[in-house]
Amino acid sequence: MATDDRTDVLVIGAGAAGAAVAWRLARAGIGVACLEQGDWVDPRAYPHWRADWELHRHTDWSAEPNVRRLPQDYPVNDSASSISPLMYNAVGGSTIHWSAHFPRFRPSDFRVRSLDGVADDWPIDYATLEPFFDLNDRMMGVAGMTGDPAYPPKSPRQTPPIPLDTLGVTMARGFDRLGWHWWPSDSAILTRDYDGRRACVNCGPCDLGCPIGAKASTDVTYWPKALASGARLVTRARVREITLGPDGLADGAVYYDREGRVHAQKARAVVLAANGIGTPRLLLNSRSARFPDGLANRSGLVGRNLMFHPYAMVRGVFDRPLDGHRGPIGCSIIGQEFYETDLSRGFVRGYSFQVARGLSPIASASGGSVGDRVPWGREHRRAYDERFDRTITVAIIGEDLPEPGNRVDLDPALADSHGIPAPRVSYTLSENSRRMLDHGIARAREALEAAGAREVVFNPLLRAGGWHLMGTARMGRDPATSVIDAEGRCHDVPNLYIVDGSTMVTCAGVNPTSTIQAVALYIADGIIRRRA
Amino acid sequence: MTRGALAEGRDLLILVLDTLVPASAEFPGAGAVALDHVLAVAAADAALELLLSRGLKVVEEAARANGVSGFAQLSPDDRESVLRQVERSHSDLFEAFVRHTYDGYYGHPMVVTRLGLDPGPLHPRGHRIEAADLPDLARVTARGPIYRRA
Repeated sequence: MATDDRTDVLVIGAGAAGAAVAWRLARAGIGVACLEQGDWVDPRAYPHWRADWELHRHTDWSAEPNVRRLPQDYPVNDSASSISPLMYNAVGGSTIHWSAHFPRFRPSDFRVRSLDGVADDWPIDYATLEPFFDLNDRMMGVAGMTGDPAYPPKSPRQTPPIPLDTLGVTMARGFDRLGWHWWPSDSAILTRDYDGRRACVNCGPCDLGCPIGAKASTDVTYWPKALASGARLVTRARVREITLGPDGLADGAVYYDREGRVHAQKARAVVLAANGIGTPRLLLNSRSARFPDGLANRSGLVGRNLMFHPYAMVRGVFDRPLDGHRGPIGCSIIGQEFYETDLSRGFVRGYSFQVARGLSPIASASGGSVGDRVPWGREHRRAYDERFDRTITVAIIGEDLPEPGNRVDLDPALADSHGIPAPRVSYTLSENSRRMLDHGIARAREALEAAGAREVVFNPLLRAGGWHLMGTARMGRDPATSVIDAEGRCHDVPNLYIVDGSTMVTCAGVNPTSTIQAVALYIADGIIRRRA
Repeated sequence: MTRGALAEGRDLLILVLDTLVPASAEFPGAGAVALDHVLAVAAADAALELLLSRGLKVVEEAARANGVSGFAQLSPDDRESVLRQVERSHSDLFEAFVRHTYDGYYGHPMVVTRLGLDPGPLHPRGHRIEAADLPDLARVTARGPIYRRA
């Protein structure tokens, strides 16, 4: 086994959270090495440069690792889950293929137990995270507008909002007719040149990556700055286990390099940033006499309380073209009329509306996220032409509550290409989440009809919608009910930190990346403070 | 069936594709523009090739059950009826036909052009969106804060 130079902090995972931590620590003069199982994505390799770009969405650029099956991917057994986990393994992690919708959690999201009597409060609050939200916004570059009454006042956005265009204006009119909240999305996509990066050219499919770096994937935001500050990044480095010293503290990790050679990377502290499935997988694979049930798992909670955001997709069909093929696919409008708890609705907590762009040619035929395939045969041409460029899709993104039975554990048979046991995901949609989504479907129908839709169809639960992987090593004050403390340290191993979506106590009703990164920066700040 | 068997059934495959997406006044049939894609994805995936080849056999057998010597002898309306029978009896393989036909058809530059879009790569051209005024959000802001203070 080769032994690499010892570093101050070893970061595992170079995605949204790992990149932010690596940059923050390196900038403070702390030695950082990061191990990433994926590689850099060459901007010229994105499908956008090819005429057949759309075909890649369901093959080599699929968001599902089980479909993509690239050498750097690991399989996930999701046969016992009603939602398939999505992720990307590369420098930048899942920010490579995210849609960059960038809302923050709201203040009430950190006080769910106190306000609504469910789940648990976070040990930190919105006010604590606010400076880190702002710092992260500056690093990522956010398009948007201040003044949204759904949030406490925010600092100025880095660029003006993503253009609503015909489709967004149409949908905004629907919300206006009902008197409901809507706002131009905070989007981590530049509408003006910013910080050495180019503005978006409105090509559309952000979910396939961004070839010009207008979308804030961390390979183009944090990593160049982290490397310039002295961080060391090792790609195609798949970590097998985190190792412990005789004192019971983490002392590094064992990993396979791109040639399959085994290395030991020693460190004074270890930061896990491998996402809400990869992190519990690695902890559960790091068994020892001291931790026979997995590292830092004396609570038995590693891998438990998995939260996705369950999505329902509602689509309106209109009588006129909406220019939906242009502009960032996942961003134009957020609606938060039904976000805070109102028990008269039949469920606790709430959801957001995320208004997406229209469907591209192949997705229009297959039905995209709603799955309502255009009929074949004599009726095909008429049916297709009535739909193409005449649809608006409203995603309902509901707050899942933590439940111990929803979990990640190790599959007894499945393994990755290095023979490392693969994760198995078990997830059942709760009754509360079902009622929430049903409410959202009915309200989205109202909004679409108010906007002029002549027909509305929906998918009650998007299976290929597991973009957000959260809760599997959650934060808390009590070691019996949480895995990490309020500073991100594992209760059982105080120099082992977790900074990805695993940390989340609850998942709110909005996309989590802004909050994941703010929490990561907050934890990094604590590491720097204690070192000083 | 052996690898390449789908290509051997090329004439039948064209008829099936043309039945799934028939030609219209402005658009070609799928047999003309999706064939190469379907053959290519099948050639790259032995399991898919087997599935689609089996599908052609099922189609031919279903046609014969209608009293003709093969699918080609049927009228366009009767071809559609036969495929609807196959869709009901062999939904998995039929779905594969439809999916790959739609992929090949709506990914083809000729069809994309007739939809009114530029068929080439998205980059570096992107799409132009005319500058517009920022949206009027006076109604939304007039309500005041809608978040709970915590």
